Amino acid sequence: MEAHISTAEQVLLTTDGIPLKDSLKKTERRNKIKAFLLVFPLLLFIIVTFVVPIFDMLGRSIDDSQINQVYPKTFEEYGKWDKKADELPPEEVFKAIYFELGTGDKIMIGRALTRMNYSKSGWKSLIKKTQRQIKKDLKAETVITSYKDRLIEINEKWADRTYWYAMSQMINERTPIYYWNALDRTYDAEMNVVRQSEERRIYVKTWIKTFKVSVYVTFFCLLLGFPVAHLLANLPLRYSNLLMIFVLLPFWTSLLVRTTAWIVMLQQNGVINGVLVWLGILCDDCRIQMVYNETGTLIAMTQILLPFMILPLYSVMKVIPPSHLRAAANLGAKPFTAFIRVYLPQTVPGMSAGGLLVFVLAIGYFITPELVGGKDGQLIGHWIAYHLKTTLNWGLCAALGAILLGIMLILYWLYNRIVGIDNIKLG
Amino acid sequence: MSKFFKTIIAFAFLSVVPFSASAEVTFVSWGGAYTESQIKAYGDTYSDPDSIIFEPYNGGLGEVRAQVESGNVAWDIVDVLPSEAIIGCDEGLFEDLSDVAWTDAPDGTSMEDDLAASGVTIMPPCCAPQIFWTYVAFYDPDNFPGNWSGAKPEGIADFFDVENFPGKRGVHTWANAIVEMALVADGVGVNDVYDVLETPEGVDRAFAKLDTIKDHIVHWSAGSKPLELVKSGEVVMSLAYNGRVGAANLSEGENFEYIWEGQVIEQEYICLMNGAPNRDAAIDFMIHASSSESQAEQAKYITYGPMRASGIDIIAAGEPWFHTGINVLDQMPNTPDKLAISVIGDPTWWADNGSEISERYGAWMGN
Repeated sequence: MEAHISTAEQVLLTTDGIPLKDSLKKTERRNKIKAFLLVFPLLLFIIVTFVVPIFDMLGRSIDDSQINQVYPKTFEEYGKWDKKADELPPEEVFKAIYFELGTGDKIMIGRALTRMNYSKSGWKSLIKKTQRQIKKDLKAETVITSYKDRLIEINEKWADRTYWYAMSQMINERTPIYYWNALDRTYDAEMNVVRQSEERRIYVKTWIKTFKVSVYVTFFCLLLGFPVAHLLANLPLRYSNLLMIFVLLPFWTSLLVRTTAWIVMLQQNGVINGVLVWLGILCDDCRIQMVYNETGTLIAMTQILLPFMILPLYSVMKVIPPSHLRAAANLGAKPFTAFIRVYLPQTVPGMSAGGLLVFVLAIGYFITPELVGGKDGQLIGHWIAYHLKTTLNWGLCAALGAILLGIMLILYWLYNRIVGIDNIKLG
Repeated sequence: MSKFFKTIIAFAFLSVVPFSASAEVTFVSWGGAYTESQIKAYGDTYSDPDSIIFEPYNGGLGEVRAQVESGNVAWDIVDVLPSEAIIGCDEGLFEDLSDVAWTDAPDGTSMEDDLAASGVTIMPPCCAPQIFWTYVAFYDPDNFPGNWSGAKPEGIADFFDVENFPGKRGVHTWANAIVEMALVADGVGVNDVYDVLETPEGVDRAFAKLDTIKDHIVHWSAGSKPLELVKSGEVVMSLAYNGRVGAANLSEGENFEYIWEGQVIEQEYICLMNGAPNRDAAIDFMIHASSSESQAEQAKYITYGPMRASGIDIIAAGEPWFHTGINVLDQMPNTPDKLAISVIGDPTWWADNGSEISERYGAWMGN
């Protein structure tokens, strides 16, 4: 492409007479479109299998609309209840719920029941028993003067204010209550946010525990991985390749095999305790408890996540020219100073990549802590899985997941402010 | 959730969940020795064994709900815990089977009466009964610690007695059964446990009793763990699924002894998925699997008790019943004498209060 400089405006032209800028823009655009089309199937795949489900889950974390579909009239009348004046809701509320239970769709009520139980345990059986009785009433066409009295007659729990107060939590179609639950809080009778009763406060503790374990594991991985990566990067190629196999081999072994191997090593009658007792360092009764507690979790998780730290560090260190350290020595730096001021800053991208990888993986881990952690092994992943499978409280599950996602995004943003995201290199 | 999202998710599922074009019934269960026993007792005795495919899953209703909500149901029958059977039935995840004609016992007792004789009064309408399995305390008499002053442990109160029976105990990491056992150990009668648990003071009482052994507990979460813990001496007594202990005793030559008093008997159900692809064939198989003969047959391979009382009669009449030619009734958890000293787990109470108690137990464990 030759450029002619036109006399008048000094605009560069191609041989076809089109301005160079435009021609360049067109070619660039075509390349961009080609690149986009190549990536498009992958983008579609990620959107369908990753982004859409995540937004669906996030939507679930605030969604409470199913209850409204089941009790529209009851909630309407409920709003008219003056809680300070009357102890129990007015007769219209009782009448509305009587008919909505008696004539409502069984499956929709069933779904609502599971949800109602999260607000107050006991709703489920109360409504099921009442429903059976109401259906009998309707069949027999009994005449009822006071629905309030009839319901209380069927089951005295209807006269319990705490049940009615719990209903106020369910009235809105969108609710932040799951997020409050995920932070050990709930609504009291007047819809103020209060802390859960003391014996039920687990989530904040679990968040702190998960965070703590992840930070420790990242730190230990860094401590142990840095020397290994340094060694690998500075050995001649044939030795470092051999040693690299020792790093990769556990990486390729099944997670469960490694975890179980640690149990065998660390248990009371395991290898480590056995050797220490045999050597006489430990008496037979003072064996160390190294598994089924936090120590076991830290040891096992560090070993499992170590390759994620070693590999990025290795690939960054490989690129650092050894001449830099020699130059530093030449300019009068002692070895320690040279290391701190010349070598270490250049490995920061690798440390960041490794650290971020290890931290993100550690925070979501739940199989290894469950197997070796004993009672200290219930990290946040356990509760997410528990609510997904057993209680079917997908709202709370989604809220916990959303908070986890939020924490990771905040950390990412913080990291970007402090170190800069361009400072991550995987090699 | 908008229709658009639903179709997107269904599309995603379609690409992942395999299609089953033939009329093969997918029976989903827990895997391992337990499903092996189901294959031998139900599958091989069926008129068409090859038409039933057994698949493992990890428990819980998460996958069930995801399949039913997305409209892409791949499973036919699911083996579930009783509280899950109740929740699933209420939510319409399982199909109502009240109209199905279940088989009678050999002596003509209907299924309902057969279950009532075993102490089961409520059966979720979407499911067929399967087996009783229990949380039971056990120890290894060949491994008696030298510092046990008493004779052997005999009741659940001894599990909570760290003075006369010092040493660590193995307890699972969730709240089921341990809460009931704590109350029985504290003196509550086995039939009154759930009445006491209905009150907040009752729950506090259970946790107070748990506090007495708090520092002596080693927690386990996998079913095979308690046997390893007791065998290796890590703990002196442990709670476990009775079938695992039975398998160790009958097939691996172990000599574990049970502490039957205060054991918590749980039920197990097989339920029909709502929208199952092979509904009629599945119902036919469920009728076969819930017959007294099939349930008794399962006891030949694993020591879980048939939920139908007539099943125990068949076993008793046919001893030695185990497939290796040994007697199995002493390992069976629901013979009449043992039923009298056991707590029959109440899945309705757990369906109501499960998540609250579990959170409290989780907090208690973490302290």
